[in-house]
Amino acid sequence: MTDILIIGAGLSGLFASILAAKRNADVTLVSAGHGGLSISHGCIDVWSKATSSLSLSRLKKNHPYRIAGKRALNIAMEAFEDIMHDASYPFSGSLSKQLFIPTAIGSLHCTAYAPISLAHSQMTKGTPIAIASIAGLRDCFPEMLVKNLRSNGYLVERSISLSLPGSEPYRDLYSTDLAYRFEDSAYRDQIAQLWKPRLSGIHCLGIPAILGIELFEIPTPPPSLPGLRLEQVLFSTAAHFGVNIILGSSAIGRIDRSRKLKRVSGITLQTPSNSRQLKAQKVILATGGFLHGGLIAHRDGSIQESVFNLPIDYPENRKALLAPSLFDKQPYEMHGVRVNSRMQPLDLKGEPVYENLFSAGGIIAGADRQSEGSRQGIDLATAQRAVEAALE
Amino acid sequence: MNQEFLPTDHCLKCNICTASCPVASVTDRFLGPKAVGPQAHRFQHPHYELPDVSEEWCSSCGTCTLVCPHDVPVAEMIAKMKERPNREASWRDRIISRPEMLGRLATRFASIVNPLINSSRVRAALERYFGISSKAPLPTIARTSLNKSLRDYYVKSPNRLEEISRLTVGYFHGCSTNFFEPMLGELAVVILESLGLYVFLPPQVCCGLPLQSNGLFDAARKLANKNIKLLTPFLREKIPIVGTSPSCMLAFKHDYRAILGIDTEESNLLANSTYDFFEFILQFVPEEVNRISYRKVVAHALYHPPCQLRGHGIGTPALTILRRIPGLQLEVSDFACCGVAGTYGVKSERYQVAYAVGEQLFQKALAMNVDFIISDSETCRWWISKHTKLPAYHPLEIMARSMGIIT
Repeated sequence: MTDILIIGAGLSGLFASILAAKRNADVTLVSAGHGGLSISHGCIDVWSKATSSLSLSRLKKNHPYRIAGKRALNIAMEAFEDIMHDASYPFSGSLSKQLFIPTAIGSLHCTAYAPISLAHSQMTKGTPIAIASIAGLRDCFPEMLVKNLRSNGYLVERSISLSLPGSEPYRDLYSTDLAYRFEDSAYRDQIAQLWKPRLSGIHCLGIPAILGIELFEIPTPPPSLPGLRLEQVLFSTAAHFGVNIILGSSAIGRIDRSRKLKRVSGITLQTPSNSRQLKAQKVILATGGFLHGGLIAHRDGSIQESVFNLPIDYPENRKALLAPSLFDKQPYEMHGVRVNSRMQPLDLKGEPVYENLFSAGGIIAGADRQSEGSRQGIDLATAQRAVEAALE
Repeated sequence: MNQEFLPTDHCLKCNICTASCPVASVTDRFLGPKAVGPQAHRFQHPHYELPDVSEEWCSSCGTCTLVCPHDVPVAEMIAKMKERPNREASWRDRIISRPEMLGRLATRFASIVNPLINSSRVRAALERYFGISSKAPLPTIARTSLNKSLRDYYVKSPNRLEEISRLTVGYFHGCSTNFFEPMLGELAVVILESLGLYVFLPPQVCCGLPLQSNGLFDAARKLANKNIKLLTPFLREKIPIVGTSPSCMLAFKHDYRAILGIDTEESNLLANSTYDFFEFILQFVPEEVNRISYRKVVAHALYHPPCQLRGHGIGTPALTILRRIPGLQLEVSDFACCGVAGTYGVKSERYQVAYAVGEQLFQKALAMNVDFIISDSETCRWWISKHTKLPAYHPLEIMARSMGIIT
């Protein structure tokens, strides 16, 4: 029997597991796969609308931020910064000011917290910069990058293409390939020799995120280093604090019917070979939304929660879940599990479904994370509240 | 439409597998799991061969399947692409994939074979004429194999089992424990017995995984079917099988069905009844395990869960035990793979890549100044030990030490 069982190894699940383990709870984390961190930009978006700042009172009543509360968001961000600091991968940012991070195509991604190497690009607005592209790097489009950066107000003086030492690679290189090569100090020396003459007269250089040092880095399309780094830090921090991590097996919820109060007793763990019971005092559901397996959209239009079959609202007509254009706000984003201020999933009458079941992250209804740019902020704030409530 | 092609269409092309692949990031010769798995699958044609898809560079660590958010069996797809007829395999691959044959031969002449393996001249010759890297570790051959030292533990059929009320379990030792590390098998039996279990050795052959990894599926299937046939009578009596080698156990649990395609009632029964050693004791005799009083083992150690253990989907049950040992300061490796992946790193043409996959793990172990490495898988232990010059133990050796069974 574990004190706290967390289902899902994305940002909210990993963060919740670390918070609970830091408070000396016996924590088990179960996940069928990894979450989306390793293909994310690796920043923490809290509210990315450039036009309006986050004001909780202006949000709808059932918005996860409003339910979790400002206090939870503040505490969550402090705790997150501490974890990253302790892991020597510090983040820069705040809840009051937006950061604008150049992307691989030169658009600006609005975020609240970014790893130092990415956040460094903030200092450079108004000063002349150069942008480096690397020959042979896949999905690296310097012309587009420079053009868009200029129209976004960056003073891009020039763009240079840097080549790599050694023979022609066998295929296009990913940023992970380059990051691996840069681990080797002899290779770095070679690079320095090769690049130094090309860099004379440049004060500030933007470069695809492969270095992990203080130039400024631009995150690449997946595989992207900042997301991988963040994921690795969270996994190893969780392991360090003694979280029992079980990956590669799926979870089927178990209900405790022996008592009058409705409770969950844990899960049936479905491993590749057999299944067994995993008992828990409290369970935190952090399985994510449709893309991550927490919610399943059926052909008949119904929406199912994948572990405990929790009640979910859905429209009668399935078509109402999708907007006509891919780039519009998608109505399905708003669907999920409704929760109270203790992050307990609610039934259609508004009562907690199970007194010892809590939830965090993308499974929770009421926010359009994509258009709000609030994904990671909601993950952290709701995980914070869920752990607090579970350990009360 | 052929059902087998459906998993390909579940691929979102999100690249999460490529991002996490330990091989793709260290060599551009491997196109990456997405490209070699689902992407190449789309272009398969009944009459034309695919161009170089580089599947032979995949080490089969299984990380891609683990991280896929859409249940695409990426590693299994790539493993199946490696299937080739025996005649297309080199002599080296045909020989190193048969540890049982090698072990049986070598144990007879252990006193001659061991110095030979350690001789740099012999290793240079093996490299030059045979393609076995002289830098890769080869195991030390035991003088007495486990099947000789535990001869009395063999039980040929369930009706020869003693009529007893104790929980009964069959121990599958695998080739490595049998011929190279028999002490491990003896310790497993002693610990299981001390927990009140009745332990016996069922009749068994090599699990066939090395053959499968080398693409020799027909020979692998023969061994798989033989094991299934030998073990089924015990399984029908509801006797579980437990093993100390995560790769052999993964073959039973998963590979026989998902890669070799043996999907029968018996193969499912075997998968359902197979357990990793620590998974087994924590699940079947938890109270007895809780009653163990551990002695101090004052040491600083790095635990590396092997990639094959990750494939079990059971987490790290050995850590649950190790964390209870007083005095043992544990670090946990979060590297997906140490690089060797069975026979992969032993081959001359793969050695550099295998080394590169493990390099950061070796450096971490050395930088942390640990006293020894702990890992469940034999090839990982030999590989990490060779490259860090640190001793490496199976978690059950540390457990036995803490229980006072060995000093």
